[in-house]
Amino acid sequence: MDYALDYARSKKVEYTEARANTTQYEELVIKNGVLDAFVSTIDSGFCVRILANGGLGFASTNKWTKDEAKAMVDTACKFAKIARRKDKITFAEEKGVETKWSVEQKKKIEDVPPEQKINELMEIDKTLSSQEIKIPGRIMDFFISLTEKYFVNSEGSAISSFVPKIGGVVFITVVENGKPEQAYKWLGRSGGWEAFDEWHVTETLLHDAKMLQKLVKEGKAVKPGKMDLVCGTEVTGIASHESCGHPIEADRILGREMSQAGRSFIYPGGPYWIGTRIGNDIVTIVDDPTVKNSYGYYEYDDEGIKARRRYLYKDGIINEFLQNRETAAKLGTRSNGSSRANNYDREAIVRMANTFLLPGDWTEEEIIEDVKYGIYMKSFTEWNIDDRRFNQRYVGREAYIIENGELKHPVARPIIETTTKNWWSSVDAISKKVEYDAATCGKGDPMQGIPVYTGGPVSRLKEVYVK
Amino acid sequence: MNEVLEKTEAITKKGKALGADEVVAETVFGRYRQTRFSNNQIDITVAWNNYTTDVALAWNKRLVATQIRNFQNTDKIMDQLFKLAKVSKENPMYGGIAKGTFKYPKPTADKKLQELENPSEYALESIEAIKKEVGAEVNAGGTLYTKYEDVYLASSEGPTGQDARSAIELSIRAFSQIDASGHGVECCSSLKDFKPLRAGEKAGKIAKLAKNPKQGEEGKYDVIFDPLFFGSLLGTWGSMVSAYSVMIQLSVFVKKLGQKVASDIVTLRDKPAEYSINNRAFDAEGFPVQENVFIDHGVLKTYLHNTSTAKIFKTKTTGNAGLVQPKPWNIEMDPGNMSKDELFSQVKRGLYLTNTWYTRFQNYSTGDFSTIPRDGIFLIENGEIKESWKDLRLSDNALRLLNQIAGISKERQHIHWWGLDYGIPSLSPFVLAKDIQLTRPK
Repeated sequence: MDYALDYARSKKVEYTEARANTTQYEELVIKNGVLDAFVSTIDSGFCVRILANGGLGFASTNKWTKDEAKAMVDTACKFAKIARRKDKITFAEEKGVETKWSVEQKKKIEDVPPEQKINELMEIDKTLSSQEIKIPGRIMDFFISLTEKYFVNSEGSAISSFVPKIGGVVFITVVENGKPEQAYKWLGRSGGWEAFDEWHVTETLLHDAKMLQKLVKEGKAVKPGKMDLVCGTEVTGIASHESCGHPIEADRILGREMSQAGRSFIYPGGPYWIGTRIGNDIVTIVDDPTVKNSYGYYEYDDEGIKARRRYLYKDGIINEFLQNRETAAKLGTRSNGSSRANNYDREAIVRMANTFLLPGDWTEEEIIEDVKYGIYMKSFTEWNIDDRRFNQRYVGREAYIIENGELKHPVARPIIETTTKNWWSSVDAISKKVEYDAATCGKGDPMQGIPVYTGGPVSRLKEVYVK
Repeated sequence: MNEVLEKTEAITKKGKALGADEVVAETVFGRYRQTRFSNNQIDITVAWNNYTTDVALAWNKRLVATQIRNFQNTDKIMDQLFKLAKVSKENPMYGGIAKGTFKYPKPTADKKLQELENPSEYALESIEAIKKEVGAEVNAGGTLYTKYEDVYLASSEGPTGQDARSAIELSIRAFSQIDASGHGVECCSSLKDFKPLRAGEKAGKIAKLAKNPKQGEEGKYDVIFDPLFFGSLLGTWGSMVSAYSVMIQLSVFVKKLGQKVASDIVTLRDKPAEYSINNRAFDAEGFPVQENVFIDHGVLKTYLHNTSTAKIFKTKTTGNAGLVQPKPWNIEMDPGNMSKDELFSQVKRGLYLTNTWYTRFQNYSTGDFSTIPRDGIFLIENGEIKESWKDLRLSDNALRLLNQIAGISKERQHIHWWGLDYGIPSLSPFVLAKDIQLTRPK
C-alpha cells in the first residue's frame, strides 16, 4: 500500500488513494434443517484510485506483490488520463487524517467455535419444524465478517479500522389449507456474537409463521378506497430508504448512475431541489452512520471523511444531499462522508448508511385509537419504486383492519401505490419509538450490496388510497 | 500439464491426503475492465485482476468450502478446511459430486478481449451513434465491460480440465428529455460479433420516440415486450427452475413437473452457447455443461440439477452445479414464426414495453409480482406506435404471464445488463402477451 502510494507520487497526477481490505468471512446455509454448506474464507486485496488530467482511473488486485502494486498504479494512471473529459473532475477540499477506529465486541466472534454457530442455528430450525404449523420451506443464510481496512491518500490520510459484522436472511413458507404464504427477515449488526442473542430469531420466525397461518385462515381482502394507513416501523423504514435516501444521493442527482440505478426526481433545474417542500412539516428523515452497533456503522468513509448525521428531509423540506468528494465539488459544497465501497475491488460511490424517520410525540396506541377506519400495515412483502424514486408500491404482509380505533381481522396483501410527494405529505402522526431493520442496499455496477439500517417509528398516512 | 492446473490438482490431492471423501478445486485467473460513463463523458475506467481458487471439500457428507488466493498458504488453508469439516454437521441430502473423466470442447474465448487494454473507445463510439439519432442535446450514460478468465478445474472424482471464458458487454441509456429515455445493450463472447453502434442506435431511437410522455392509464393490455424487458423475465423463470429454488419454495414450479405451465408456443432452454457471455465447458463439479429444455411447448420437463439435487429428485445432473446450488447459465426462448412487425400488427390496442427493473414477488410460490417498466412505454393502436406514456407498473402473476403468451418473434437478442434481478443472461425475442395488468400510482 505504502509502496503503491510512493510509486504514484512519481507520476504527474492530482490525487492518489490506496485502500486495502482483509476480511475473514464465514457463511452457514441451513436449508430445511440440513446444514447445506459451511464456507470459511479470507479475502484480501487492495485498490488504487487516481485522479489525473481531470479523469478517474481505478485498479485492484488480490495479489500482494510490489510488481502487482506497480502495475495497478500504472493502469489506474493510464485509465485516468484516457477519459479526455471536457469538464474536469475535481474533489472537494479536505485535510489529511491519521487515525484508527474499531467496533467493539462483547462476545468475540473469534471465540465462538464453529460447532456452537451451527448448533445455535440448527436449534432455531428444530423449533420451527416441531410446530403444528406446516413450514415446508425454511432457509437460513447467516454470515460473519471481520474486516480490517487500511486507507491512505496523497493528502496525508492514513486510516485503519476493524469492523466485525454478523448478519443473515431467513425465509419461511407456511402452508395452510394447501395455500402457501411467505415471510423473510434480514438481520444485521456491527459487533460481536452478542447480536445473535439480542435478535430473538426463533421468536420472530414463530411470530411470522403464526401470523401467516392466521392470514390464510382469516385474512380478508381490503375494500379499495381512501383511508388512513398506519405504517409499522418496517414499512416506515423501507419508504424512508427508497423515497428519501436514494433520491437524495448526489451522484444520482447529477446523473452518474443514469444507466443503472437511475436518476432522481431531484435534478438541477427541476421542480425539486434543496429548500423545496416534499412532505408534511413533522417529517424529518436522517441518514446516520454513527448509530452504535448498527449494520451501516462507520466512523470514516472510504474517502477518509469523518462520518456524521445527515438531515435529508428536514421539517418536510429537502435539506441535504448525500455527498462524496466528487459530487461535493460539482455542487460547490463539502463531502458529508457518504462514500462507501463493499470491498477492495469496487470503486467507492455515494451510499446510505442508516436511514430513518425521526420520532414524533404519539404512542403507537394513540395513533391507532385515533383512526376511525383504516389499515395497520406492520410489514411488507413485494415492493418497488421507479428509477426516479417517485412512483412506489408496498404490499402488506402482516396487516390488520382498524375500526373505531381498534385492530380487527387480518387483511390479505393490502397495496399502496403512490408518489413520494403524496406519501410524505400525508404523514400526520409519528410515534415516539424508533426501531431499525437491517437490509442490504443495492447500487453500483458491478453491484455492490452494502449493509444499511432502514427504520423509523410507527407513522400514519392520512386519507391515502389503498387497494 | 499446465502449471496452474497442476497446482489446482495439488489442492485436491492435499484434501484427499487429509482424509476427505471428495474435493473439487477451480482456479480462475480473471482480468476485467470497465468504463463507466454518464452525461456523454467518461466517469471512470476500472481494472480488476483476480487470482482465486474455490475449493469444496466433503467428508462424511459434511460439505465445507473456502477460497485460496494466488495459491498462498494452500496447505494451511486446507488443514483448516478439513478441521472445519470434522466439526460440521452431516448433510443427509449431500449426494456427492460428478464422477468420471470427461472430454471438454476446446475453449472458444476471444484472446483479443484479453489484450484489449482500453475499452473506453467503444463507449465513446456508441455515444456518437446516439447523438446522430437524437441530436447533440441527448444525454447518454452506460458501461462498457470486458472479461477474460482462464479457468482450471481439478476434482478428486476424475474431472480435470481447462477452460477460457470471455465477454464484452455494452449497456447504454439515452435521455432525450428528463422523463424520456431509451436503453440498448450489446453483449457477446467475442469482439468480432460486437456491434456497439447497434445498442447506441436502439437507445437513441427509443429515447426519441419517448419524448413528451403522457400519464399512462391503468388497465389490462395486450403487451409487446422488447427483448430487453423479456430477458429480465426469462432470468426470473430460469432461476425458479433451479432444483434448489424448488426445494425452498422460491419457485412457481414446485410440484409442476410434467404439467402445462405456459402457452403451447413457449419452449425455454438453458444453453451456455458459444455466443453467450456465460459460455463455459463445465460446471463447478467438472461435469460438462449441456443444453436443457425445461419448458417444452408449454410443459415443464425438468428442473436444473447438480449431482446432489439430481439424486434427491431421482434423476441425473443437468450440468448446472454451482458450489452449493444448481443455477442456470443462459436462458433461450425458442423463436416464433412472426417478424417483429407482424407481431405489432396483431395488436389493436396495447402497449410496447421496452425495459424494466425492480421485479419483486409477493409470494414466489404463487407467482404474484410486480415490475417497473422503465425507458420507452408506448401505446400501440392498430399495430402502430401511437404515443409515449409513463409511470406504469406491470402487476400480474408469473405463471399467468407464461400462459398469456400469444406471439413470439423470429428475431432474438442476447441480453444482459445491470438491471436484471437474477443476473442471468438470455437469448430473448419480442413477445406478445394478452391481457396483462398495468397499474399506476394514486
